[in-house]
Amino acid sequence: MERKKFLKSLSLFAVATPSVLASCKKDTGVDDVYAGTDVEIDGSCVVSPPETEGPFPTKSPSSLERSNIIDGKTGAKMSANITVVNSNSDCIPVEGAIVDIWHCDVDGNYSQYGNTQMQRTDFTDVYFFRGRQVSDGQGLVTFQTIFPGWYQSRATHIHVHIFNSSGKSLLVTQIAFPDDLSATVNSTGAAYGYTKGMSGYTYNARDNVFHDSVSRQMSTITGSLATGFDLSITIRVNA
Amino acid sequence: MCNRVITLCYRKIIAHNPRTAWEKMVFEDSHAEYRMQVQRFDPDGRCARFSELVRQVPESRQLHFLVSTSVANYLKQLQDLVPDVLDNLGRRFLHFKTYRFEIIDSAIHDPRIHRVSISFISEPLWWLDTIGEYVLLAEPSDATTGPLPTKLFKLPPYVSINFIQYPKCDD
Repeated sequence: MERKKFLKSLSLFAVATPSVLASCKKDTGVDDVYAGTDVEIDGSCVVSPPETEGPFPTKSPSSLERSNIIDGKTGAKMSANITVVNSNSDCIPVEGAIVDIWHCDVDGNYSQYGNTQMQRTDFTDVYFFRGRQVSDGQGLVTFQTIFPGWYQSRATHIHVHIFNSSGKSLLVTQIAFPDDLSATVNSTGAAYGYTKGMSGYTYNARDNVFHDSVSRQMSTITGSLATGFDLSITIRVNA
Repeated sequence: MCNRVITLCYRKIIAHNPRTAWEKMVFEDSHAEYRMQVQRFDPDGRCARFSELVRQVPESRQLHFLVSTSVANYLKQLQDLVPDVLDNLGRRFLHFKTYRFEIIDSAIHDPRIHRVSISFISEPLWWLDTIGEYVLLAEPSDATTGPLPTKLFKLPPYVSINFIQYPKCDD
């Protein structure tokens, strides 16, 4: 049901949805140099037969629309539970909000292939730690991910962009992590891929994003490296 | 075998007058995603067009990548086969594993401005010979005996040789 709602939400301008009925047809004319029997060569001036368009297209959601955003990457498992509420209406849950999140891997790198060179990257793998969910009746979305790593000049964080169901941006924000927990994970989590330690780490108080508002962006996290973590946060938007 | 190895690049442009159902879905979904993501870089909607925005806000070049998420699943539907590019028998024959999505231009309120390109990078091919206007290509093979399946191909517009490697022919 959520997926249906989400697809509907992306119809930002009215268009007829192309037929998907052709999706069951099989493409038989591809790259089969030895198949078939001899045929008479067409020496006429008739327009050559066009190729089929296939493999046949079907309407597909964004690759972001998924709850598990790990894509096989290493790290301590974490369930991120984000509740969206409406500041304009006594903080009641916002149903149908589109929630995008993204964060770095254990080494502090983000997924993206947008380099200047045509790098050889398998396109199925380049969206790790990026996801999109639509909030339920309680305003809740849940992502299966890992405890993020860190990079220079920033404390551990997750980026969040929240839209209403029509795709209008409501809030761009970031989720903060307790300093002591970041220290524990990065100092003792080598077995889970956290090998950078804390040398050069930027704590929340010195972080340019969080230093003036960290209490309002701080998450609650339970669990451990061994059992995995559960992150919870309520984000208030003007819906 | 001692052959030159090339990859081909096909740059497919999709604009407001899509020819096929696949193009139409790529066009619509990439424009919808653009409308969502552009708000991060231009929350007040001051720049009417993407081309204007990238001059004002260089970080907005991230939109190429961010909007590509909306079409990644359509690329998978191609099952690694480059569209449109046919050999002289009229068959698609180029396989790809790498592509690059780019926004040529876009505008929130005017879909007619929205134009994107997808550059498909072919898997490596042997360039065996050139016959008139045609190049004779084959998929690299370790086989040293027996016939080699080949493709005869004339480079159309928007297709280019993207990469070439000359072999060391010591033997």
